[in-house]
Amino acid sequence: MTIDDLKAFGADTDDGLKRCMGNEAFYLKLIGKALEDKSFADLQDALGRNDLNAAFEAAHSLKGVLGNLALTPIYTPVYEMMELLRNRNDIDYQPYMDRALEKKAELEALI
Amino acid sequence: MRRFTDTLEDGKRQVLVADDELINREILANILADEYDVILAEDGEIAYELIKQNRNTLSLILLDLIMPKIKGLDLLKMLSGDNELKGIPVIVLTSDQDSEVTSLQSGAFDFIPKPYPQPDVIKARISRSIELAEGRQIISATEKDGLTGLYTLEYFYRYCSQYDKFFPAAEMDAICFDVNHFHVLNERFGIEVGSEILKRIATRLTEVFGGQKSFICRKTADTFLVYCPHQDDHSSVADQIANIGDDFQIGIKIRAGVYSCCDKKLDIHSRFDRAKIAADKIRNNYSVFVNYFDEALIDAELFAEQLVDEFPKALESRQFQVYFQPKYDIRGDRPVLSSAEALVRWVHPDLGMISPGAFIPLFEEDGLISKLDEYVWRSVAEHISGWKKRLGISVPVSVNISRAELYDPALVDTLESIARDNGITTSDLVLEITESAYVSDSNQIVDRVKTLRDHGFFIEMDDFGSGYSSLNMISELPIDALKLDMKFIRTAFDKQNDTRMISIVIDIADYLGVPVIAEGVETEEQCLALKKLGCAIIQGYYFSRPVPADDFEKLMIDKKTV
Repeated sequence: MTIDDLKAFGADTDDGLKRCMGNEAFYLKLIGKALEDKSFADLQDALGRNDLNAAFEAAHSLKGVLGNLALTPIYTPVYEMMELLRNRNDIDYQPYMDRALEKKAELEALI
Repeated sequence: MRRFTDTLEDGKRQVLVADDELINREILANILADEYDVILAEDGEIAYELIKQNRNTLSLILLDLIMPKIKGLDLLKMLSGDNELKGIPVIVLTSDQDSEVTSLQSGAFDFIPKPYPQPDVIKARISRSIELAEGRQIISATEKDGLTGLYTLEYFYRYCSQYDKFFPAAEMDAICFDVNHFHVLNERFGIEVGSEILKRIATRLTEVFGGQKSFICRKTADTFLVYCPHQDDHSSVADQIANIGDDFQIGIKIRAGVYSCCDKKLDIHSRFDRAKIAADKIRNNYSVFVNYFDEALIDAELFAEQLVDEFPKALESRQFQVYFQPKYDIRGDRPVLSSAEALVRWVHPDLGMISPGAFIPLFEEDGLISKLDEYVWRSVAEHISGWKKRLGISVPVSVNISRAELYDPALVDTLESIARDNGITTSDLVLEITESAYVSDSNQIVDRVKTLRDHGFFIEMDDFGSGYSSLNMISELPIDALKLDMKFIRTAFDKQNDTRMISIVIDIADYLGVPVIAEGVETEEQCLALKKLGCAIIQGYYFSRPVPADDFEKLMIDKKTV
């Protein structure tokens, strides 16, 4: 995976790289780790149990990580989900989750 | 204003990043690594432990709000409720704008949003928070001692620890300065003079140790601590401080204990404990001003503590045994057993025989000595009584009475009831009272001794010649015998047989009409010389070392059958 791949994927690489002090290898390494982040699984589990408190916390954590790495395509559905979860809206979150997971798979395919 | 940390030119401040997301921790650590020493925690519990461990060196905490084990806001509350931790500034990391206000209300200094802003912004917020927090500490009233302007203990320890962190390889000395008997100074010359002296000591210490690499604190009333780069010899400092009382024509002894090149694995408190132990060792030695800690001191201290702790049990289980050192009357052709001095021995189940020199000074300090003495008096009375009943022999035995015991109004009653309980007469018990006991506050002591004598007890003045009593006073003292200080015997026979001092003492005894007892007599030569000079009674290894009651009993039987 290269920075250009990431850019093509839709990540705001300028923003992400700045946070990594311009260190590309470091940035790419962290993205690899982010894809293994257990908050994805936590969020999916919580939604399955309809535990909105836990789902909010997991979405909240994910949003911080994805935002820091500027992985916009995954960040956006998670962020939207988090804002809805904040008020514990009783709606179907799965479409948001699916969109996030689909983008995550897309990114994984780049590695 | 010069801040403490300005002096740490090449040091890095320590910052804790507490966040359960690895990526967030890594990003911050990477941003801060150049300027800060970053430590990481992945949950609230670990964060709390690290904060406690590094409380003296931590400059800032970056705290995520949502973490396993302990949540950020709860941790904030724990910190603000702890006096040792509440001074460390916290910046909250949050991706949730609603939490920002709550965090600030809970005592956070600032917040950093997620996704993180530009690294420069993060760094600026961190350094500003640290600066503000350090400034706040500097102006806080408790950082400096009001009287001397030196650091207070809490800040002193904090700064020493921070210094160690910045300069881990520096060899440092921990020094404890103590004014001998400062409370007496205060009482004699007034608090104002006392305070002035403390201020001067502080000024002098600042002159000597005022460099950027030393820290000075006033720990308690008259105890000062200094943490400074290692020097081989600190005696010149002690000299410079010793003359501080000269303006007041007051002789002041300041003693210094030095723990050189401290072991930095020991926490800072323990290092200064060691310095203090070294200082206290020379409390009563007026010719030594600086003492250096060595490991043997710790052993001695622990040993002393053990003895004091075990005293009650030892007393109860009768581990203390009374030994008897015979005294012989040498006035006739042949020496005759005339009496004995009771001496206590501690037969410890694990440590074996412990010398009285090891425990008596300790018990005197702790006030346990009166219990031990009473035990000895009783035990001696039981033995005298037993010998009377079983053998029909009566030999008086002398016991020691300390100065403190003479002040006890119940002393006469206690001794009389001991005699009565055991069916012996008061004249069977001889009381040895050291000469120096008479010197201070002599009227009260003299009256008490007179009372004892009126009740039939014999009084021996012990250690005569060591206490500087005036000849005028001696003539009025109620005594039945003078016991020569052992030092007279030693010097008389060490240095070209100069026995003139002994003859003077014997003349005094003649004038008072009482016999002279010499103790510590070791050779026949000494014994004959003393006899020639007119000494009446001899005690010492020449005749017998102190022996257990059974052995002493044999000596008495021998005497009877001769």
